[in-house]
Amino acid sequence: MLDGVDLDLAAGDIAELRGPSGAGKTTLLLAIARLLPGAGGSLTLAGEAADSVDPAVWRTRVALLPQRTALFPGSVEENLLLPFALKARDGVRPPSTETLRTALDDVGLADVALDRDTARLSVGQAARVALLRVLLTAPRVLMLDEPDASLDDASAAAVAAMTARFAEAGGAVLRVSHLRADAAATVRLHLESGALAGGDRDDA
Amino acid sequence: MTPEGAVVIGWPQLLLAASFMLITGALSVAIGLGLVKDLAIASVRTYVQLLALGLVLRWVFSVRLWWVVVVLLGVMTVVATRIVVKRAPDAPRGLFGSALFSMAITAITVTFAVTALIVRVPVWYEPRYVIPIAGMVLGNSMTGIALALERLFSDLDARSGEILALTALGADRWEAARASVRLALRAGLIPTINSMAAAGIVFIPGMMTGQVLAGADPLEATKYQIVVMLMVSAATAIGSILAVMLSYRRAFTADGVFLEKGLRGPAS
Repeated sequence: MLDGVDLDLAAGDIAELRGPSGAGKTTLLLAIARLLPGAGGSLTLAGEAADSVDPAVWRTRVALLPQRTALFPGSVEENLLLPFALKARDGVRPPSTETLRTALDDVGLADVALDRDTARLSVGQAARVALLRVLLTAPRVLMLDEPDASLDDASAAAVAAMTARFAEAGGAVLRVSHLRADAAATVRLHLESGALAGGDRDDA
Repeated sequence: MTPEGAVVIGWPQLLLAASFMLITGALSVAIGLGLVKDLAIASVRTYVQLLALGLVLRWVFSVRLWWVVVVLLGVMTVVATRIVVKRAPDAPRGLFGSALFSMAITAITVTFAVTALIVRVPVWYEPRYVIPIAGMVLGNSMTGIALALERLFSDLDARSGEILALTALGADRWEAARASVRLALRAGLIPTINSMAAAGIVFIPGMMTGQVLAGADPLEATKYQIVVMLMVSAATAIGSILAVMLSYRRAFTADGVFLEKGLRGPAS
């Protein structure tokens, strides 16, 4: 499905990937997260080849937030702490309750209690909690698959701000966009029929 | 070898039992159920299959050869496994091996634990004890394992979005599948637990019914039934756990990526 796609991301980049539906945008993200069975090609992160890293550990560094928000049954706090209970993050200290509280406040979720059941979140709140869950794990690369596809403008703006802050702190972002263009994007990519075009950096 | 008090059913009486099926058939015609053919075939099958079973068991019990017992147990296990695999249509192909292993291990362990340690038969392969007990163990664990496997793979498919998110967060296969594994094991075990709870109050268990009809003392029959019920429950539990733990990985690639129903091939 993908053919000869070559992509480089640097720390601080926000790469925006556009293209018609069916062009392979999601497939590309899955391949980079090593979530695509039978994918070929080579991946490197900071000089380290993907093959030399355990796939689960790779995914803790190259994080993908799937398009469909998937919070698990339970509280917001349980969801935010869940990644730290995984073997791939053995030895990583989970954030404290205060850190979680501050993090929620910072993304406009001051009115969401940590013990709120995830079933009682709005679509926009759930999307932000899901993004926060990934961001708290401090990955090197963050990939977002149409993060604002089903969001209202306020939630979409919050998601864009969270993404921008992650990039400012030295992370690299690759996001698939469909509806809205991300004003903060530094790299614009276009995928059509499995081939990649663009890659112009408009450094601000 | 008929115990005191048991009434032997004669051949004419055996045919007489079919008369009720004739009444049912007549009713079916009158109401237009269109079931006459099915009823007829089912009745004939009941006669043929069970009489054949009786003749085979009579022969097996009289020759008392260890290898005949072993062959019979093997055939029973394979047939039960085929039924299990058929009942879990969402399961990946290549499940037969792990299902067979789970069935065989539990059936052998539990059956011979009962015959050797509890009934204490003098000869380990004593067919009169080994075959019926193995039949009960296999029959019940078959149902439990089939339910558990069916639920495992249908729940994994239902949770595919959640599993993708978990895997993307760094979960390995076990961490991604755990919630479905738990649900599947509950599904496999709950019917057994329920039937233990209802035994003696809602129904007289089948084996005890048989022993009582054959003239056994009800209390002695009860002791047997308790043993069998506990062992059968244990077999269902162990068999389900083995089968589920051995097979959930087949819904994932070696890299820990979940394969949805259409993508699951013969696992490596």
